[in-house]
Amino acid sequence: MLDNLKDAVKKFLGSSDYNKAVNDFIKDLQISLIKADVNIKLVNELTTKIKNRLSSEKPPSTIERREWFISIVYQELSNLFGGNKEPDIMPKKLPYVIMLVGVQGSGKTTTSGKLALFYKKKGYKVGLVAADIYRPAAYDQLIQIGNQINVPVYGEPGNKDAVQIAKNGVEKFLKEKYDVIIVDTAGRHGYGEEVKLLEEMKSIYESINPDEVILVIDASIGQKAYDLASRFHAASPIGSIIITKMDGTAKGGGALSAVAATGATIKFIGTGEKLDELEVFNPKRFVSRILGMGDIEAIIEKM
Amino acid sequence: FSFFDFLRYKTIKEEDITDLIEEFRYQLLEADVSYEVSEKILEDLKNSLVGKKVSRSEELEKIVLDSLKKSIEEILTKNRGFDLIEEIKQKGKKPYVIVFFGVNGVGKTTTIAKVAYMLKKQGLSSIIAASDTFRAAAQEQLAYHAQKLEVPLVKGKYGGDPAAVAFDAISSAKSRGIDVVLVDTAGRMHVDSDLVEELKRVVRISKPDLRVLVLDSLAGNDALEQAKYFENNVGYDAVILTKVDADAKGGIVLSLAYELKKPVIYLGIGQDYDNLIPFSPDWFIKRIFQ
Ligand SMILES: Nc1nc2c(ncn2[C@@H]2O[C@H](COP(=O)(O)OP(=O)(O)OP(=O)(O)O)[C@@H](O)[C@H]2O)c(=O)[nH]1
Ligand SMILES: Nc1nc2c(ncn2[C@@H]2O[C@H](COP(=O)(O)OP(=O)(O)OP(=O)(O)O)[C@@H](O)[C@H]2O)c(=O)[nH]1
Ligand SMILES: [Mg+2]
Ligand SMILES: [Mg+2]
Repeated sequence: MLDNLKDAVKKFLGSSDYNKAVNDFIKDLQISLIKADVNIKLVNELTTKIKNRLSSEKPPSTIERREWFISIVYQELSNLFGGNKEPDIMPKKLPYVIMLVGVQGSGKTTTSGKLALFYKKKGYKVGLVAADIYRPAAYDQLIQIGNQINVPVYGEPGNKDAVQIAKNGVEKFLKEKYDVIIVDTAGRHGYGEEVKLLEEMKSIYESINPDEVILVIDASIGQKAYDLASRFHAASPIGSIIITKMDGTAKGGGALSAVAATGATIKFIGTGEKLDELEVFNPKRFVSRILGMGDIEAIIEKM
Repeated sequence: FSFFDFLRYKTIKEEDITDLIEEFRYQLLEADVSYEVSEKILEDLKNSLVGKKVSRSEELEKIVLDSLKKSIEEILTKNRGFDLIEEIKQKGKKPYVIVFFGVNGVGKTTTIAKVAYMLKKQGLSSIIAASDTFRAAAQEQLAYHAQKLEVPLVKGKYGGDPAAVAFDAISSAKSRGIDVVLVDTAGRMHVDSDLVEELKRVVRISKPDLRVLVLDSLAGNDALEQAKYFENNVGYDAVILTKVDADAKGGIVLSLAYELKKPVIYLGIGQDYDNLIPFSPDWFIKRIFQ
């Protein structure tokens, strides 16, 4: 769909004027990134950096110009999320407490179930904690998900204190020697009336002291992603990110902005509603999706 | 024109407004107006301004901003929504059937609860069809709202036929003289052909008076993509935009009006029942150029 970059590369190769070719390329790269919903300011930063490198470094004669060219773009993008390797997704210690946070409807509850299933299959003893007291039937939702995968769910329907529920749930599973404890929290954005919800999230964070806070982010999120993620990060330091709904057409540039805002690593992507539709994050595939070009993946794959 | 016009007027040249246009491009993109639509609107703007004679006393920035606002207002006004309550009352036919759909998690179910609440305040009765028979606790979520709002609900069985639930609710509305049927559907990706087929069946059997696409205001360029797919494969009459309280600018409103000629009728501004407000072009312009 986005053939801008392809055209850009053509121009790049066809042109005798190197500087003009670089400028054309950068312009088209900017368009691809903007269309992929990368934060505008980040687009500027990234493309300035890439342009400087293209203008100052010489393409090595050993590789094709075009491949070198794309490799620079890939390097700069993947630098953002910690380089060219798959993330380490295994618990660093046991027991391991994970807390999921994110905007309303981003997919936290479903992803809690997916993670539970993932770690259960790896042989860990997993428990789920339902700490969303706002969304109608949030507790029932997690119970039904837990039943589908045979993972116990702790909750206190009726209790209006999310901090206390989270604390009780984590304590219970710790006492019962569970390995991985996953805490699902309510959706929130934290602007305006919702500032108190961010405070609640912070209190949950402080009371359960999780080993990892995961920001669950919808692949389709636009320009707001950067600011949102920064606010979340300020309230409870984000360790990693899961991008959901990658089975749609969204490119995921918003998630890239969230990475830039938090310094967190992307660990998994959600690729469907079913609980086994979770994949370990693959940086190459992600960058080629953002740039909107299939054959970039092949080039990056060679690197 | 007399000789003295030369002193009073100046002609706008392209280079006079390049920087300003660049600034507005930033603003539109930051508001999540889709890339293509931003480009087209600014191109139109440029064409309408270059060569124009304007008074020397006027500031260029004000001229450009005013014409941009005017053109956005025109686009939005041309595709203005309608008053749903009026529309329902005028139709006279009972029940008035509304089907809501959209991708996962945008806020369909919550929006239906808000609409049921609004209808009730306007003296219109409604019944809800819980045609999401797939997602965990989708039924319980609606049951909670229905009970709280004291609105009847036709439930479905998990794994059951969503179209049958809608059909039952419509039959029930007919026999009980209920004014409006609100059909909730499961979230589905616009590119999932099986699920889109299923949705088409729900629509076919419901014969809705209104098909509402629910979009999330936090979404970026993909929102227009979703809107295009749903238009081409299912079709809809109006849009409700949710989560506007998340400080999102809602640029999709403009993309929709420009590209698809679709009106936005309501905005979701929170999770409470009264957090639904009618859309107006004015609201949008203020928000983008605040
Ligand atoms: N297609 C698709 N749908 C997903 C994915 N992950 C979650 N969903 C769906 O997105 C919707 C919202 O998911 P939830 O898990 O309820 O989201 P949440 O963040 O817990 O929502 P709140 O608790 O209301 O904030 C549901 O319809 C899920 O089935 C995914 O990777 N792909
Ligand atoms: N802040 C805010 N949250 C909203 C708004 N509308 C819906 N939500 C929240 O978004 C989340 C998802 O809403 P649902 O109504 O379950 O969304 P849905 O489209 O029915 O989701 P699926 O059926 O899973 O596809 C819930 O936590 C809602 O409370 C809104 O206007 N503002
Ligand atoms: Mg949830
Ligand atoms: Mg729903």
